[in-house]
Amino acid sequence: MTTPLLEVSDLSVGLRAGGVAYDIVRNVSLTVDQNEILAIVGESGCGKSLTALSILQLHASPPLQITGGSVVYGGSDLVRKTKKEMRGIRGSEIAMIFQDPMSALDPMFTIGSVLVSAVRAHQDVSKDVAEKIALEALADAGIEDPRRRFAEYPFQLSGGVSQRAMIALALVNSPKLIIADEPTTALDVTVQAQILDRLRALKNERGMSIMLITHNLGVVASVADRMAVMYAGEVVEMGAVSDVFAKPQHPYTTGLLGAVPRLGAGASDLVPIPGRVPQPDELPAGCTFADRCSRVVDSCRATRPDITVRGRVQVRCFNPVS
Amino acid sequence: MNLFQRALKNKQLVVGSVLGLVVLALGAFGPLIFGAYDTQDLLLGHKPVGTPGFPFGTDALGRDLAARATYGIRISLFVAVSVTAIAVVLGTTIGLIAGYVKGAVDTVTSWIVDFVWGFPLILVAVLAAASIGSGLVPVILAVGLVNTVAIARVVRGEVLGISEREFVVAAKAGGYSSVRIVFRHIVPNVIPVALVLSSYYVAVSIIAEASLSFVGLGAQPPLPSLGQMVSDGRNFIRLNHWEATIPGAVIFVMVLSVSLIGDGLRDLLDPRLRTAVERASAT
Amino acid sequence: MSTVVKRVLLTLLLLQLSSLAVFAAIRLSGGDVTAARLPASATAEDRELFREQIGLNQPILTQYVDYLGKVVRGDLGNSLTNNAKISTLAVEKIRNSLILGGAAIVLVFGIGIPLGMLAAFRRNTWLDTSISSAAVAGMAIPNFWLALLVVWLFSSTLGWFPPAGAGGFKYLVLPALVLAAEGIALTVRMTRSAMLENVGQDFVRTLRAAGLSESRVYFKHVLRNSLLPIISLAGLRVGQIIGYALVVETIFGWPGVGQILVNGVLRRDYPIVQFFSLLLVIVVTLGNLAASVGYTLANPRLRK
Repeated sequence: MTTPLLEVSDLSVGLRAGGVAYDIVRNVSLTVDQNEILAIVGESGCGKSLTALSILQLHASPPLQITGGSVVYGGSDLVRKTKKEMRGIRGSEIAMIFQDPMSALDPMFTIGSVLVSAVRAHQDVSKDVAEKIALEALADAGIEDPRRRFAEYPFQLSGGVSQRAMIALALVNSPKLIIADEPTTALDVTVQAQILDRLRALKNERGMSIMLITHNLGVVASVADRMAVMYAGEVVEMGAVSDVFAKPQHPYTTGLLGAVPRLGAGASDLVPIPGRVPQPDELPAGCTFADRCSRVVDSCRATRPDITVRGRVQVRCFNPVS
Repeated sequence: MNLFQRALKNKQLVVGSVLGLVVLALGAFGPLIFGAYDTQDLLLGHKPVGTPGFPFGTDALGRDLAARATYGIRISLFVAVSVTAIAVVLGTTIGLIAGYVKGAVDTVTSWIVDFVWGFPLILVAVLAAASIGSGLVPVILAVGLVNTVAIARVVRGEVLGISEREFVVAAKAGGYSSVRIVFRHIVPNVIPVALVLSSYYVAVSIIAEASLSFVGLGAQPPLPSLGQMVSDGRNFIRLNHWEATIPGAVIFVMVLSVSLIGDGLRDLLDPRLRTAVERASAT
Repeated sequence: MSTVVKRVLLTLLLLQLSSLAVFAAIRLSGGDVTAARLPASATAEDRELFREQIGLNQPILTQYVDYLGKVVRGDLGNSLTNNAKISTLAVEKIRNSLILGGAAIVLVFGIGIPLGMLAAFRRNTWLDTSISSAAVAGMAIPNFWLALLVVWLFSSTLGWFPPAGAGGFKYLVLPALVLAAEGIALTVRMTRSAMLENVGQDFVRTLRAAGLSESRVYFKHVLRNSLLPIISLAGLRVGQIIGYALVVETIFGWPGVGQILVNGVLRRDYPIVQFFSLLLVIVVTLGNLAASVGYTLANPRLRK
């Protein structure tokens, strides 16, 4: 087995402010291999976005801070990097795409000027060369008239084109990994499919990897190679998409998959999970899912389960569905 | 936390209110305690602060500065607060009508409002004094006009914004009368904005009245306007600086109190600002 | 661009109407003029003659058109106080006011913006608290009182600057500072809150994720988003400064438009009042127009 591109081990991120101290992301371990798409899936508030942001140390700090664990990329731990070293990695090694492209682009600057700034933040090239690179990135992101878009402001673009501009911004320094945080959530369904197709094509053309944050299992099924399911700040199940979909082992994953409406299924097939997600400042001593779990056993309430290998997947559960 | 508890935690609002209450108490009871503001006795001129019988000292003519300053508070508050209050009612009404009725009424109102709006209050007051002669009347007219226009401008904008929102559209679709929609749905949303703004306008009005009186175009002697007292006292700054510093400090505290209340109310009442602040501290 | 053109035309029309209103109001108060300018012993005929001499017995619109005609020819009449030609006075007063007002505008933005940025960068430190509190105080302090205090300190006590009058640079310092004080305080507050609001915007995270340096993110992107709206409103500042200049010029004996207008009103010297109030109405209107056009041009969304 080759070394993974990115290896997150035991990562915890917490809130530390004025007497308040609790973790929002707890002991997350995951890997992204070369040329694969890893999906991180979970409900909103489960800590998936914060996990993604903290990899590049873009979380709001203070009050949030990394409270434990490591993020190893290219043989060194990003958690220990200086601000200046992190700046060199952002965009050039690992890039990021955000959810709402409309507000994620600076309204006062043209698309082109931001792209050129990004190129020149990492590459010592002339303005003309930077412009050429920027135009290529726009084309690679699937924008049809790069020259025109280059000179336009964000408000002149549709949602889909804005998101492509964001992708171009992520591509412009040829990173090895792109972290895409809900890249299609704010878009129309037809545009969603185009953006996902583009991302998958980029992975194949450029041999890059993508960490895809989403709450949409349909998106996971259609583009991802592997998936990690997050619940209340923890990874509860992780494995190849085909394995997890075929035989989900964590009761939360089964519930989640049960909650996806499928064509041809009757209304009774929809199984909502009873109860609500515990808040990060009121977590139980044992398993975070125990209160909502139909397979709960005594040990679930007493101790927090570790994530362990079961067959071809990893599961954080004392009584998994076998 | 309810509104009152949040208000108590708002430092600006608490400090501003306390200062405001002190000023109000001085204005209400001062003239009763210290007596007439125009009793002259040249033998008692230029007494410093703490002179027996004259806690704030006396001016060149031997008049009691405590009596004059507290009466001056009344004049100042009358012009700034009561006139602005009328302006708020008028401005809100005009803004509501223009914003809700739209069409030609709105167009013409907006022209006039936009034109008058950028004019500084002091200039308008000086122009009014030039037209009808010096005194408190031109100041009152200027404060009334400028503040009415300013309130109308903002309220109109708010109404246009609110009219687009779902609950108003839904109420219209539901066939409710315009009057009901305006009073049940739009007015309650506009009032906080008008309230926050009016405290700023009161501050500007206090300064404008004092400034006009300072240069001699506002309140005429023997009425003891604070601005005029500063003007009288400035010639004796080396002899007895209290004659100028006390009335100036009173104006400063009044304006400070009103602007702190304005800042506090803005944080407290404006839901958009509040959510923005909360969002900033949450992410 | 047609909205801008429409706006300009509309403003010119309203300017015309308002100048007529100011003109009419001042003329109609002419009854006071005879009382103020003529001795109490003057007979009714004397008063009528005086009114005729200065053209007060014509219909108001005729007077207005007449007056505008003379203004166009450069004949602004004479002061009733000392018979000086207003056209000569105007050149000098306008120049002095431009010097003082220009200095104040430079101070407003030159001091206000850096201080506001500093407060935002050092948010919630003692520095921010001091700057922000000073700004609150600066907006609450009446400028005639501030003038008195700075004269007391810097002229009477320390003797650094002359207390009043016009001359070299030394005479400019105190009035310019006092005139700018409120604007500086306001600019500090606006800059600080705009910077803080924009730092929290999503686009800042995007730019940081793209690897732009912190200084580039703040000094180029956050700053431009924060400052363009503030600077584009400079026209409104012109209006405010004119308002305060009426008081500040009077206190410091600065021989500008504000001083001559206030003294003119006090002395009922109405040819003086007439010309200089019209002048200020025009300047303030143009300032407001510039602010509205500037705001439009500063925003790419409104520009198209």
